[in-house]
Amino acid sequence: MTWISKTTTFFGLVLLAHACYSAQEHSALQSFRTTSAVNPSSPGTTAVSLPLDISLETLVATAIICFGLALGTPPLRPIQWRVWAGKIEREGEEGFMNADGEVSRDYVGNPFKMLETRPGFVDIRRQKKDFAEWVRSSGEKQEAQI
Amino acid sequence: MAQIPVQTIHRDPQLFYWILAPITVVMVLTGILRHYATVMMATAPKKMDQKTMREQRSLMHGINLRNNYHVLSKRSFNVRRDALTAAFESGAYLKNPDQRGQAPPNPLSDPSAMDGMMGMMKNQMAMIIPNTLIMSWINAFFSGYVIMKLPFPLTIKFKSMLQAGVATRDMDPRWMSSISWYFLCIFGLQSVFNFILGSDNAASQMAAQMNQMGAQGTPQMFGPGVDPDKQFQAEAENLAVIEHYSVLDDVETRLLEGIRA
Amino acid sequence: MSTEKDYQISPVVQESIVHNSRTLFNFQSLTASLFGVCAGILGLESYTGFLFYIISTLLTCILFYALRIAPSSIASGKAPFDTSRYFRGAFEFWTSGLSGGLAGFILTWTLFYGLVRA
Repeated sequence: MTWISKTTTFFGLVLLAHACYSAQEHSALQSFRTTSAVNPSSPGTTAVSLPLDISLETLVATAIICFGLALGTPPLRPIQWRVWAGKIEREGEEGFMNADGEVSRDYVGNPFKMLETRPGFVDIRRQKKDFAEWVRSSGEKQEAQI
Repeated sequence: MAQIPVQTIHRDPQLFYWILAPITVVMVLTGILRHYATVMMATAPKKMDQKTMREQRSLMHGINLRNNYHVLSKRSFNVRRDALTAAFESGAYLKNPDQRGQAPPNPLSDPSAMDGMMGMMKNQMAMIIPNTLIMSWINAFFSGYVIMKLPFPLTIKFKSMLQAGVATRDMDPRWMSSISWYFLCIFGLQSVFNFILGSDNAASQMAAQMNQMGAQGTPQMFGPGVDPDKQFQAEAENLAVIEHYSVLDDVETRLLEGIRA
Repeated sequence: MSTEKDYQISPVVQESIVHNSRTLFNFQSLTASLFGVCAGILGLESYTGFLFYIISTLLTCILFYALRIAPSSIASGKAPFDTSRYFRGAFEFWTSGLSGGLAGFILTWTLFYGLVRA
């Protein structure tokens, strides 16, 4: 995705630079012609409009660069909590990769993870039971080893 | 209506290389320098002792409760409110409870308050000094040159601003001197900095000013010279007048509506 | 009051709003400078230039909508040209670029106008 955007933008920039150069040359030539003309009484007519092809090239180049830049913008994020949380739950870190394959810097992870580890929500009886079982099983294992 | 002849001034193309380009390059580089200088001069927030921290955090607790009461059920909200209000009114969270009722110390004599001011001063300096330097530099070297023509007409009032140092009476105000190119650069280079440094840079002055506006809320709350006891009393009063409702009131009717639709 | 309660019932992620509007702002300030270059090369003057700026900014908004918002927004059942999935106000989305990029536009417009009509 990103290389498409970059190539498009670059191509547009080349076109734009060419158009700029052409316009510059055109106006320089025009002013040179008017100053060296036989009739120097109308020096104010240098403001001749650009040839059609240069204008067209400029407009097309601008459109191409715009398109490339728009392709290169990072994806947006839904602003409603329920939509956003659903996106995070479904996609995890994959949804926040930027173009270079890195997780973007302000990605904070699942914001609801905090709820799971909140002290008020810990099931202390189950943890105690787990711990007791772990102690028992490791004790049995040690006895078996002995 | 008679056609007014367009003024044309033949300018040396060297003007572009020796005035326009240096000013632009210097402006961009100054912006980048300012960004990195601000990053470097940013001081880490000072560590607070436990009592101060407790004072601030309990006040934040009250404010958060006031802002988010709608997610709590009526009972738990009432319990929290009673506990916090009692503690606020008795001054249990104050840093030094024996100083209640005394006038707050002078903010200028308090050494811990100086830090915040210094930070603000540094930011201001980082903005003012380069601007003054560059302006005097441009005035010293480049004043009196007409370098460009604006593509849109202006009223005669702008003449004194745009053509500073060029004392001609009949020149169209569209022609501008180097100092006005400097002003255009100040306002217009923001997007360039956005592109180079990322959007949360310190180079663009507009954004910096906006930040200062926004940041003024926080330091004032715990800032020097504010009596924490008074803040606690006010917060207790605020909590007392809240008319509680929960977002979960009539959730079942909303759910049924949503299913039926 | 009812709108406040609505926001409390279905809350809004502040970070996402900041991220979205910053994305839009960056894109629009870049394109504004680009339009300045274009207007300078074409040699537009006074009202024509500002008209060009307004029209092209609106076109950019539409382009941004079509590329970034429309695919997921329409898929989630929103009407076309409804930006409420990513932005809080429609007005803010369509007009924010006009004021934000104007300074950059004028800068590059002047620069390229001066360069080309040397």
